[in-house]
Amino acid sequence: MDEIARFLRSYPPFDRLPDHVVHQIAGELQIEFVRAGQTILTRGGEPAQFLYIVCKGSVDLLRSGDQVVDTLGPGEAFGHPSLIRGQPPLVTVRAHTDTLLYLLPGAIFHRLRAEQPQFAAFFAASVIERLGYAIQSRQAESNPALFQTRLRDLIARPPVFISADATVGDAARLMRAERISSLIVDQQPPGIITDRDLRNRVLAEGLPDTTLVRQVMSAPATSISADALAFEGLLLMLERGIHHLPLVDHDRVIGLVTHTDILRRQSNSPLFLPRLLQRATSLADLRRYTDQVADAVNTLMAAGARVSDIGRVVAVAHDALLQRLLHDAEAELGPPPVPYAWLVLGSEGRYEQTLRTDQDNALVYDDEASPEAVRYFERLAELVVGWLVECGFPRCPGNVMASNPEWRQPLSVWQRYFRRWIEVPDEESLLRTAIFFDYRQVYGALPAEPILRTITQHAAEHRIFMARLARAALRQPAPLTFFRQVALERRGEQRDLLDLKLRGTAMVVDIARLFGLEARSNETNTIARLRAAMAAGVLSREDGDNLISAFELLSTLRLQHQQQQIAQGLPPDNLVNFHQLGPRERREIKESLQAIASVQRGVALMFQTDRLA
Amino acid sequence: MLSFWSRLFQRTPPADFVRAYEAFPEPDRRLPWREVPYTVIDVETTGLDPRHDALIAIGAVNVENGRVLLKQTWYSLIRPPPDREPSVESIRVHHLTPEELRDAPPPEAVLAELLQRIAGRVLVVHVAEIDVRFINAALKPFGGRLRRPILDTARLAMTLHLNAQWLGEQSRDMPAPAIELRGLVNALGLPIYAQHNALNDAVTTAQLFIAQATLLADQGRNNLAGLIRAGGV
Repeated sequence: MDEIARFLRSYPPFDRLPDHVVHQIAGELQIEFVRAGQTILTRGGEPAQFLYIVCKGSVDLLRSGDQVVDTLGPGEAFGHPSLIRGQPPLVTVRAHTDTLLYLLPGAIFHRLRAEQPQFAAFFAASVIERLGYAIQSRQAESNPALFQTRLRDLIARPPVFISADATVGDAARLMRAERISSLIVDQQPPGIITDRDLRNRVLAEGLPDTTLVRQVMSAPATSISADALAFEGLLLMLERGIHHLPLVDHDRVIGLVTHTDILRRQSNSPLFLPRLLQRATSLADLRRYTDQVADAVNTLMAAGARVSDIGRVVAVAHDALLQRLLHDAEAELGPPPVPYAWLVLGSEGRYEQTLRTDQDNALVYDDEASPEAVRYFERLAELVVGWLVECGFPRCPGNVMASNPEWRQPLSVWQRYFRRWIEVPDEESLLRTAIFFDYRQVYGALPAEPILRTITQHAAEHRIFMARLARAALRQPAPLTFFRQVALERRGEQRDLLDLKLRGTAMVVDIARLFGLEARSNETNTIARLRAAMAAGVLSREDGDNLISAFELLSTLRLQHQQQQIAQGLPPDNLVNFHQLGPRERREIKESLQAIASVQRGVALMFQTDRLA
Repeated sequence: MLSFWSRLFQRTPPADFVRAYEAFPEPDRRLPWREVPYTVIDVETTGLDPRHDALIAIGAVNVENGRVLLKQTWYSLIRPPPDREPSVESIRVHHLTPEELRDAPPPEAVLAELLQRIAGRVLVVHVAEIDVRFINAALKPFGGRLRRPILDTARLAMTLHLNAQWLGEQSRDMPAPAIELRGLVNALGLPIYAQHNALNDAVTTAQLFIAQATLLADQGRNNLAGLIRAGGV
């Protein structure tokens, strides 16, 4: 029955199983024919005895009241939740058309689950577990080293300790004897002293070799659990700008890893970025730096990083660039006359930028600014926005940039802006909210971010604003047809298109912003907002987890699509041809959109959008 | 001493495996179709005439509880008599070479296993006439022949077609269905397994059969007797 094995092998999870296992499965199947309208499983009835796989035709899954929650087509399976739990089915399954089914007997299904982890993970009982698995398996297949290796396994030797009361001379001699570049300072919590500290904090400062370790060490040392993943260690080192990371197990340092331990063979490691930025002396160098950031995104993507992690890496790298540019601009124009703040907005503000996209930024300066100071900031903004263009960040087509005087204002004006958007939630305000509420301060001595947060934190008290924001978030419904299939569009000659941003990630971003505000959270990142909303109890755990998984998946597919386009020399867009995707992707997209649709239904009720005129 | 005439008309005494087969009771015709055990078979031959051509392969799959059980399949080659080896033309259809067939088990062994497998079950065949004639010809030296009921999926297709016309579900102008297996299976939107392999054809036929039986049950012919009326040989 080669055909059946071949049929199975073109659908997940069978596409990941060894050939001989798929053949075994094919040999165990039973074939059943059901007529349209016939019930296969009954909600609350007899537990399923088989895993059912649709071969031809389609079946509807129905909740109470005959509400169709899903329609499954060829290659899709049902019955496993009931089979796994040995409990009555939670949904009724009815043939939508005349349908041919392959039935895998329960005993064989259970044996496969025990023997094949991939199979078990795929048929986990809930959608959320499955989507989670989909994300994981993408990571695992590309580079197991970063995402399966525990830092513990990278430890080359036990750590070498030194007392805080030893002298730096002792420390240097110990490092030489042990041929290492850092020592753990033996105290609670532990500290660290590195060869760089000896150079920068001792020699360069003209301190004697009798200086005590405690005076120049870093304490407490930034450390991480020895059971964390290699990739988590990598991110932490990048964010903190450190090269040595002590690993902790039960409050004890049991070893130490350096970034070369983690990425020995990766030339595009993001960890090389800070050094590259430091060495840059010209705009051309800086342009090369942003090219390197883009390469690092490719490397991380190939290494299977989650898009949310890549967004964090990119944010660190681009923030560093901005800080450098503003620093250089100040060097050119002289020190700022009054304190100011540089804000990044939109995807950059949410830590979700993965490619060099249009600039979205704003400038806030102190209310005491004189007319000359105002002119200073005008020149500063012009300069930095121009440099950013040269580094590969095009001007914002909507002119949301610090070079636009409307978005370069004293703090009190910004406070008025935000209050107006909340108190008079007209169309324009809602448009602004979508960009300006995702703000982050990247540079400047003026504490603009915390001051503005006090306003956005109270947005949830304005129920009309929240209802309007909710309605705006629902304006793009999840693209599903009446039969819960993915609804596709047509653009000119092209058919079967799905916009992974507009009809995908953007829907989650909007919902997350809404729930983040409802939870009075200061987070700007989509996933962090959803987590905050779950923690505050305004979003159910199930809905939140589903949205996070859906967001990760759609973002991953979108970034993959864009990188393919870039590799082919095409301008990146968000449009994929749904039918050219593999069955795995198609199914993941469908489940993601269904998860989003289900939350969207609750949003309308919760924010009472129906009460709006 | 037997006379010439009595020798001509007397049946060869049945072999043991034929006796065992005949001892099984026939399935109760009042049973709902899903409660009856079936075996769907398909054969490969060197040609169309049982007097000159040989049975060279047989495939079988069981249907129980209305489901095709891929775990219960059987396939065997059959060694043809030396004077009936496949012709070049027939090899093109079934891809079985004289060399392969010379190593196959002899007819007696294969027929014994066949009868053991189908004893007490209803046989289902597509265009039963040819296959049944070949098997009966092969069984004759052992004093046996296939027992009824035997169901023919080509006949079932014709009955379903006539019923549909009669019920007005189908225009009278619709041509009668092709009796070719692939055409029938396609018309019902079912998958086809690689053709001209006796086992694959048996599985394809089995799928066709469960679909036909389901459709007939919908038209009120829910038991074995109804199936036999609609497509018995």
